Amino acid sequence: MAEYSCLIVEDSPMMRQLLVFALARVKNLRVTEADDGVDGLRKLASARFDIIITDINMPIMDGLKLVKRVRSDPVHQATPIVVITTEGSQEDRQRALQLGANAYITKPIQAPQVIAKVKELLKIE
Amino acid sequence: MTGDKKGRRSDRPLPELKKERDSFIQTFFKKGAQFSQELVNENSKLRHRVSELEQESTRLRTQLASDDAIRELLKKIEGLEREKKKLLSRFEEAEAASSKWVDQYTEVEGELANFANLYVASYQLHVSLSFRHTVRQIRELLEQLVGASIFAVYLQKSDGRTLAPIVADGIDKPKAIAIDPDDGGIGEVFSTGVAQIERGHLEAGSIDNPVALVPIKMEDRVVGVFAIYATLEQKPRFLPVDFELFKLLGAHAAAALVCAKLFADAGHKIPSFDSFFDPEM
Repeated sequence: MAEYSCLIVEDSPMMRQLLVFALARVKNLRVTEADDGVDGLRKLASARFDIIITDINMPIMDGLKLVKRVRSDPVHQATPIVVITTEGSQEDRQRALQLGANAYITKPIQAPQVIAKVKELLKIE
Repeated sequence: MTGDKKGRRSDRPLPELKKERDSFIQTFFKKGAQFSQELVNENSKLRHRVSELEQESTRLRTQLASDDAIRELLKKIEGLEREKKKLLSRFEEAEAASSKWVDQYTEVEGELANFANLYVASYQLHVSLSFRHTVRQIRELLEQLVGASIFAVYLQKSDGRTLAPIVADGIDKPKAIAIDPDDGGIGEVFSTGVAQIERGHLEAGSIDNPVALVPIKMEDRVVGVFAIYATLEQKPRFLPVDFELFKLLGAHAAAALVCAKLFADAGHKIPSFDSFFDPEM
């Protein structure tokens, strides 16, 4: 059975833990955590990931900059990216999608919603 | 003798008789031939009729066989229809069972997600003994898990008459509130220890019309109140898990804050094993 790897980029430990709990329900998915955009880029440089979930509002490097950097990275330019937005802001979502994100989830996140989105993008039954 | 001869001579047919005889014979043979011809014709007709009847009989026999085959086919179709009905009924039963399983699975997944939320909230509240971290976790819990957009957490001041905000989001200048048991809001919740939570739509929430006021308790003493004035637009109403989160925050927030404060006051010194059994404690 295929194994998948997921990178979660989120500055809130609470949100990271929630996402890790949610994604533990997806079989054969290995999850790596990063505190912010810079930490995320560091981890992306050292390993290949099948999907990236990133928060938009983060210190140091926000999610939008991260999406832009990932899309110019030859290794991960086609990797699906899901962005998490705090506000119901249409603007943030549009900007993220324009920069190359594949989908978005709005907070407060619901585990079944996260699982469904990840499975859909990884084409897991 | 002579007489006999004469007699024979007298028996000799007369020409008229001969003619009559010949005519009779001719007529007889003619009629015979005619009769024979009629018989031949009749025979031919009968043969034709027999042939027709044989053909009819063959046709009827074929039709009978064909009818039997049709009857057989109809029987088979009826059998297949019954089988189809049975299979459809079994399929519907299986579909209903499957749908029931899917519903149960979804429900269990939902419950697991709720437990995960509660576990994470509790874990994050108590994982650190840093006062700042604990305050940040309370803020995140309200913002990220509940979906609050305008909120504040008030704790009782030492004067006993006012509540001061330790966390506030979406409020311009958060200020202390005088405890008034009759204000119908924060003061009342603080005085009675009974939460006021909107169970319907949350769109109408504002600073003047909070959607949730929950007492913060330390053991049985109310030490503060958290107030949610508005929620994110994608949070139109509180879910069952939010009520559990409110209970958890109401019961754990003060303990977590007090622990963090005491730990800071103690110079981040972790009590030794012996100190837990100090007779003065």
